[in-house]
Amino acid sequence: MKRSFTVVAVFATACAALLCGCGSPAKRIDPTTQGLTTVRDVNTRDWNDVSARAINSLIASGALVRPDGRKSVVMINEVKNRSGSRARTQILTNKMRQALLASGKAVTTTAVGGRGPEDNATRQVRELENDDLFNQATVQKRGTVIAPDLSLSGEIINQRTDVGRTTENTFYFHVVVTDLQTGLAVWEDNFEISKQETVNIFGY
Amino acid sequence: MKKQFFLTAVAALLLGAALTGCQDTVNTVENRDLAMNPDSVDARKFSTDSFCRDRLALLSLRRSMTPGGVMMVQAQIRSERYGFWSELWSGFRGDNPYYVLYRFNWLDEHGMEVPTAANAWQPAIFIPGEIKFLQGVAPNSRCKDFVLSVMEDPNAN
Repeated sequence: MKRSFTVVAVFATACAALLCGCGSPAKRIDPTTQGLTTVRDVNTRDWNDVSARAINSLIASGALVRPDGRKSVVMINEVKNRSGSRARTQILTNKMRQALLASGKAVTTTAVGGRGPEDNATRQVRELENDDLFNQATVQKRGTVIAPDLSLSGEIINQRTDVGRTTENTFYFHVVVTDLQTGLAVWEDNFEISKQETVNIFGY
Repeated sequence: MKKQFFLTAVAALLLGAALTGCQDTVNTVENRDLAMNPDSVDARKFSTDSFCRDRLALLSLRRSMTPGGVMMVQAQIRSERYGFWSELWSGFRGDNPYYVLYRFNWLDEHGMEVPTAANAWQPAIFIPGEIKFLQGVAPNSRCKDFVLSVMEDPNAN
């Protein structure tokens, strides 16, 4: 009896030691190569992939080039997330606006946006025109803010399929650039990311 | 003894032949007289991963200018994981697709890298025998040179 108790105790201790050994300390990773991949969500690697494909497609299209040689002013509108996941679509738009600036063909405006201005300061500083605290010669004048020529918007939807223990989830990214003078789409593209997972019989 | 060895060899070959039937490969056909006049780029390669080097073949490296005046590059790459031994191995492992990551880095006229969100590692999945065109677009018109990096996807099963 005493011997079997000892065997059980040793076994339990060994199991506990093994389980404790499964953790890993926090460390920095390269999210583009080592980031996690999950079926339900859009992961860092997916954002990087979609952003790169969207940027390449947009720059290659020539849609940003204006006939008068002036840089296009782009308003960053909303990329709607209709996928049911917790995808933060600002990750895509932020990467795209950085690439737009780097292209040398366009600049982005923060004075207007899909959900209101991204930076309220453009409007706020013009409200100082009646404030005698400020030197009125240094207050920004009305009628100087440049209106956008183009708008960047989009949508994310997904299609999920379950067969037995296998789940497949495909995210569809649709990104559009609209000419605000005519309302016509001057560039649009679709990008898909499909992920599949088969769980074990215990369900994880 | 000799007969037993012969039977074993035949059984092994039959098993191998059966397993090789498990691999899905891509078969291609194209017009013989090509009308295109591509601007080919002489490539200078530096390989550290012998597996990746042997499994992917660089067929061509071409460039062109986009309507916006920036350079676009396409690397035509074929998966070399076909043939008897590759198919036999795939029959055991079931890892027919080859998962890689690729990235374009763009350099300006001073040889300095121009960082952009499009510089990220991007995945590509190659079915044995498949030809893919890995495409990169320069972030702006100042970029004339590039480096294409390819690695096996560490997250692939």
